[in-house]
Amino acid sequence: MATVQVSEAEKVYIMHGVRDDLRVDGRGCEDYRHMEVETDVVSNTDGSAKVSLGHTDVLVGIKAEIGKPKPAVPNEGYVEFFVDCSANATPEFEGRGGEELGVELSNTLYKVFNNRHSLDLRSLCICPGEHCWVLYIDVLLLQCDGNLFDAMSVAIKAALFNTRIPKVQVSEDEEGGKEIELSDDPYDCMRLDVTNVPCIVTLSKIGHRHVVDATLQEKACSVASLLISITHKGLVTCVRKLGVGSLDPDSIFEMTEVRNTGTEHPVQTHTRTHTHTHTYIYISEHYSYFFI
Amino acid sequence: VPADRKRVRGPEESQCPLLFLPPAAQTAEPREPRAGRGNGEVRPLFARCGLVSQAKGSSYLEAGNTKILCSVYGPREPERRDEAGVRSGRLLCDLRLAPFSCGKRGAWIQGSGERDLSLALSESLHPAVCLHRYPRAQIEVNVMVLENDGSVLAHAVTCASMALADAGIEMYDVVLGSALRQDGGASLVDPDLAEERGNWLAGYEENRGGVTLSLLPNLNQVSGLHADGELRADTLSAAVRTCMESCHKLYPVVQQAILRAVKRKAPPPEK
Amino acid sequence: MSPMKLCVPGERLCSTEDCIPGAGTYLRHGYIFASLAGYVLRRNEGEELPVISVVRETEAQLLPDVGAIVTCKVTSINPRFAKVHILYVGSTPLKDRFRGTIRKEDVRATEKDKVETYKSFRPGDIVLAKVISLGDVQSNYLLTTAENELGVVVAHSEAGAQMVPISWCEMQCPRTHNKEFRKVARVQPEYLQA
Repeated sequence: MATVQVSEAEKVYIMHGVRDDLRVDGRGCEDYRHMEVETDVVSNTDGSAKVSLGHTDVLVGIKAEIGKPKPAVPNEGYVEFFVDCSANATPEFEGRGGEELGVELSNTLYKVFNNRHSLDLRSLCICPGEHCWVLYIDVLLLQCDGNLFDAMSVAIKAALFNTRIPKVQVSEDEEGGKEIELSDDPYDCMRLDVTNVPCIVTLSKIGHRHVVDATLQEKACSVASLLISITHKGLVTCVRKLGVGSLDPDSIFEMTEVRNTGTEHPVQTHTRTHTHTHTYIYISEHYSYFFI
Repeated sequence: VPADRKRVRGPEESQCPLLFLPPAAQTAEPREPRAGRGNGEVRPLFARCGLVSQAKGSSYLEAGNTKILCSVYGPREPERRDEAGVRSGRLLCDLRLAPFSCGKRGAWIQGSGERDLSLALSESLHPAVCLHRYPRAQIEVNVMVLENDGSVLAHAVTCASMALADAGIEMYDVVLGSALRQDGGASLVDPDLAEERGNWLAGYEENRGGVTLSLLPNLNQVSGLHADGELRADTLSAAVRTCMESCHKLYPVVQQAILRAVKRKAPPPEK
Repeated sequence: MSPMKLCVPGERLCSTEDCIPGAGTYLRHGYIFASLAGYVLRRNEGEELPVISVVRETEAQLLPDVGAIVTCKVTSINPRFAKVHILYVGSTPLKDRFRGTIRKEDVRATEKDKVETYKSFRPGDIVLAKVISLGDVQSNYLLTTAENELGVVVAHSEAGAQMVPISWCEMQCPRTHNKEFRKVARVQPEYLQA
């Protein structure tokens, strides 16, 4: 992971601040940084979004392609994640440097979406056992300033919301051969239901307290963090302890609670989508009730 | 090369026929529930240390049909150098599933799933090892899963910590792993592979998922926590508590296995 | 006599009021815990409290540490430094190979500017040295022989015979009577074994 060097004095300063619920940039322990969400930013994709959270920038593009369903679940489509740690973010990622982090991030995403309700995969089925939509979700890290997981999950949710999959129809001719027909109207599209798509909240343990949305400096002071992905209904879809430290069982219980009672998240979403003016309201609504 | 038209060739890709069983066949025939153990019971554990003679320390663990072998090498001179490695040692963890360990044959090359497990293993062991006592050195932990019948990560953690203790690597505590499968209202501790997959086809109910926890029992610290699926917050807390309890149940077995190896290696020193 | 107590890592052994922590233990919240699996040993060493330690079949994993006297074998030399493999720390053999470097300026204490590595070491020599630093990212363990007791202890001549030291900077081959230059160690009597 992109890391910064923090001196002992800086560490003490940050830890004392966290103890008094005042962080270096003036936030409280449970405050997020300013977040901006922009959807429909890349025209060649079926859905895209860019999220900036402080100086962390994440771009997500989604492409839908027709593929063959997995034999175990013939009536469902599937999702593929790929996270690219571009060398733009930090020179450490040059060459194969970012590969390890990329694999870790994408493996976590598979875990986050490893359940039945996050995405209705049955709606991606075109013809059971033969054809289905495969969603390729490509995440590009443009800038790293801590809290990649949270930013990434918001960007994926926004991009999924933005995704339009062309409507297709399967027709059968006399010999039983099947043909896929694309609708003539290019605006005749299928939208995905993203209400149950989870978002990730990463809580970093600093001293005896924990903070959300840690910056790189704060991350350097924390030895262990807990990643929790949660839907608006309060269902946890993934938990993961990150880092080399260990956690007190009590602090785990405390951390899982924060999420429920957590403070209002000052997301100020801003979308540049001209076709769907309601996107703005929709997304901001979504996140505010998620973080309440 | 001209195509051989007379021969009927098999398909390029082949799939296990069991995948094509109609869903009814899987659900209609009720599996024997938990092979005679209660939901909160772990499978009987078999553990031994010091089986790989070439390694500094090693261990073998069996829980039901899950079989895991682990060996530890080092501390030795690091191959890769970076800033952090100078002040304290590095712990390298590598977990592999043998190609024949699962129902479907796996590849010898480490897949992304195995890499994920290796990372999880490393993160779970890291807090327990006194790495500051091994400056400029690396300790290698190699875990080979010979047979995968569920709860692999949990048992790999236990097995690796036994091998580290056997190797005489200084540790703050042993690490014990435990897994739990939540299936609706039922919490199944130490699930086997079938339970781990869950009654996937049965329905779209909520509150299903898996939890794997690693615990430092004497220090009462959680060194690893991994969960996926869909769990309510209260279920998750309950699952964490249940996992911690079942970790404590493993402790005597692990302790005995380590001590046995110590005794076998050397008689008690003269006072 | 009761059998010796055994322990696994993480076991609480006693309070700091009862014992002094020795090898294989660590301190936490005023208590001594085991960090190794092995036998618990209490030994009175003249202090008020006995020293508690955990011992195993072999000596605990020794790593070369700053100030330790190590025995090493020279593998290659160039005008700036000699590369060595560390074989022993004190009297404990190492299981794995560790590499070290003796820089030209660390060969002897006086007239450092006139040192020539070719006249101090040859590949294959067995050298006693002291660890001065664990080195940084690029370098290996840094060693020094800048003491009378440190330097070459075993060397072979070009004819292949083991040479005899004749001064602090020369050794002689018993077969050809050729003299070769080395940074010779004055081996301490306690290290000499018949």
